[in-house]
Amino acid sequence: MRNVAIVGAGQTHHARRRTDVTQAGLAREAAMRALEDADLTIDDIDSIVVCTGPVLFAAVNQPEKWLADALGARLKPVVRVTSGGGTGLAGALSGLNQVAGGAAERVLVVAYDKLSEGALQYSISTLYDPFWGREFAVGIMGFSAAYWRARMEPLGHTEEAAAMVSVKNRRNAIRNPYAHFKKEVTVEDVLESRPLCAPIKLLDVPPISDGACAVVLASEGAAKSSPNPAWIRGMAYYCEAENATSRSMLQSEPLTLAAQKAYKQASITNPRRQADVVEVQEPYTCFELSYYEGLGLCREGGAAELLASGATEMDGEIPVNPSGGCMGANPIGAAALIRLAEVAQQVRERCGDYQIPGAKVGIAQAGGGWANLRGVAVVSSNRS
Amino acid sequence: MAAGLNTGIDEAPVFETTLTMPYTLTTGRAAGTYLAELANQRIVGSRSSSSGKVVVPPSDYGDDGEPPELVVVPATGTVTAWTRTSAGTLAMIRLDGADTDLVHRIVGDHFGLANGCRVAAVWASDAETTNALAGFELTDAPVEEAEVVPLETDTEPIAELPYQLDLDYQHSYGLYYGRMFDELATQRRIVGTKCPSCQSVLIPARGNCDVCFVPTAQVVDVADTGTLLGFSVINMEFVGQKRKPPYIYAEINLDGSATRLIHNVGGFDIDRTEELLSIGMKVRAVWKEGTSARGTLADIDYFEPIGDQS
Repeated sequence: MRNVAIVGAGQTHHARRRTDVTQAGLAREAAMRALEDADLTIDDIDSIVVCTGPVLFAAVNQPEKWLADALGARLKPVVRVTSGGGTGLAGALSGLNQVAGGAAERVLVVAYDKLSEGALQYSISTLYDPFWGREFAVGIMGFSAAYWRARMEPLGHTEEAAAMVSVKNRRNAIRNPYAHFKKEVTVEDVLESRPLCAPIKLLDVPPISDGACAVVLASEGAAKSSPNPAWIRGMAYYCEAENATSRSMLQSEPLTLAAQKAYKQASITNPRRQADVVEVQEPYTCFELSYYEGLGLCREGGAAELLASGATEMDGEIPVNPSGGCMGANPIGAAALIRLAEVAQQVRERCGDYQIPGAKVGIAQAGGGWANLRGVAVVSSNRS
Repeated sequence: MAAGLNTGIDEAPVFETTLTMPYTLTTGRAAGTYLAELANQRIVGSRSSSSGKVVVPPSDYGDDGEPPELVVVPATGTVTAWTRTSAGTLAMIRLDGADTDLVHRIVGDHFGLANGCRVAAVWASDAETTNALAGFELTDAPVEEAEVVPLETDTEPIAELPYQLDLDYQHSYGLYYGRMFDELATQRRIVGTKCPSCQSVLIPARGNCDVCFVPTAQVVDVADTGTLLGFSVINMEFVGQKRKPPYIYAEINLDGSATRLIHNVGGFDIDRTEELLSIGMKVRAVWKEGTSARGTLADIDYFEPIGDQS
């Protein structure tokens, strides 16, 4: 397999509602920024991967067809990858394989969702089997809250610990020029915010955003024409069976598997020491705690302690979500690719006000479905 | 709504359901301007800055990928293709000066309609703005020099459009779901299937074990009591919600099964949830009163806590 690098990344200015652009315009904005960031034009791109969440989010089926003109995809290979919230990483993996396998030298991966257009929780509830569970589904928030409650006692994922995730990420988002929600909150604010699906409260939940992200993937040869590439050292995306007998409510098995595989590819044996920066896709605060454990940043049940130690703060030993994570912006279909783009830009030292000084190795985590799809990627400023 | 029981062999019952999804679409500059200008009885296209090609309706992105110029095209053109449908006659119309065809209705008397016929726009002054172009009618007006002019306007583009998808589905139950829901409807019994390899009882009933990936061997009864694995008091309201908040969402492991069931817990004052519910406690199904069984999970009203009794 050939080495593959991220040579450019771009995002939209995320917002609750971008009335100035269509879905196509939104995707284009990110794509053009990524090309500019890579010192490339669309003529340099061999192949395009479009990533979105469920089409019910915005009522356009096969949206990649509609996007073709806006992206300059005419007469190029175009595929769409859709895998819920994790779709951006699943799409990046598809693009990575195109380059690694020699089918393309440069692939543009564009991920977006325009969540202001449709009925979000209702759309998400259709992830469930129409016979079995859908009528009881509360988007993914209902089950997420139930899982969190199951984790509280055995793992110590308290409401206070989750509130600290919200405080940290929202504070970090203030420095991110593309973030949609930029307002500092306190632990008390979070704890006193309105319960939506108890124990999940309003400030445990990210904003709902319109937004897009794009990255340019390049082979080792093609990467030479762009500035300081971020090398993809490992990437994996795993699925867990629906209604599986042995599904644990405490740890995500597909996350553990994805981390093991990506770490093995990247020769990571101690992620907490070897990584300089981590971006996780936290649909609710409680998930970030869970991901610390799933990614091996701490022992099982050690997440609250890790967070309280300040280690995952911007200036900590292992900063998590210096971009603000999903608390800054959450265009679902783009959110996973944003995590990858953020760690790539960190190791490329292009993160401006929220740059982690000297970041060389970054870990991105993503997930979709009803927590049954999980992906992990490792990027590095070094090729090997 | 369930189709009910049906003994016909060639016509298995299906689960009929409708998704009604409301949307607010973002039109973008080009489509938004096109729609707004219909009220001014003008048809807007876009002209590529590099090729000069005129596209109707307009596009936000030209054939060179750059934002094109918005222009007004003549409201006359030539039919290039047409068809009769149950919704009337539809035609592809090459407006004068345009390089693409606009699909629209042919209205009025159009006996003898053929490719090459000349047509002119018919405006409906009393219609909603976005429906102001009623269609095109045959005309014998002489062909004049097509004049495509840059759009000059004070009318704001229509930025947002309300929209709705009504999606009707007929889901097939298949062998296992059919049996399971029939048992629910007629016997008030929950059944699952048993994996011959790991011996797990799986609900919903299915033909294969997810873990061992071997065919399941037998249908077995599952208790209507179980263990509460997780729960949440739902206060959030959302479009399409089947229950009115507050209510309790729960993940339950039915006794004798190896899987989780999503349902509601209730039967007590919801303000006492923290006091009455705890992870790991036993719960029991409360079946709906009367004979209104539909053969769905909603035949169980909710699960109620039964403390340490079992």
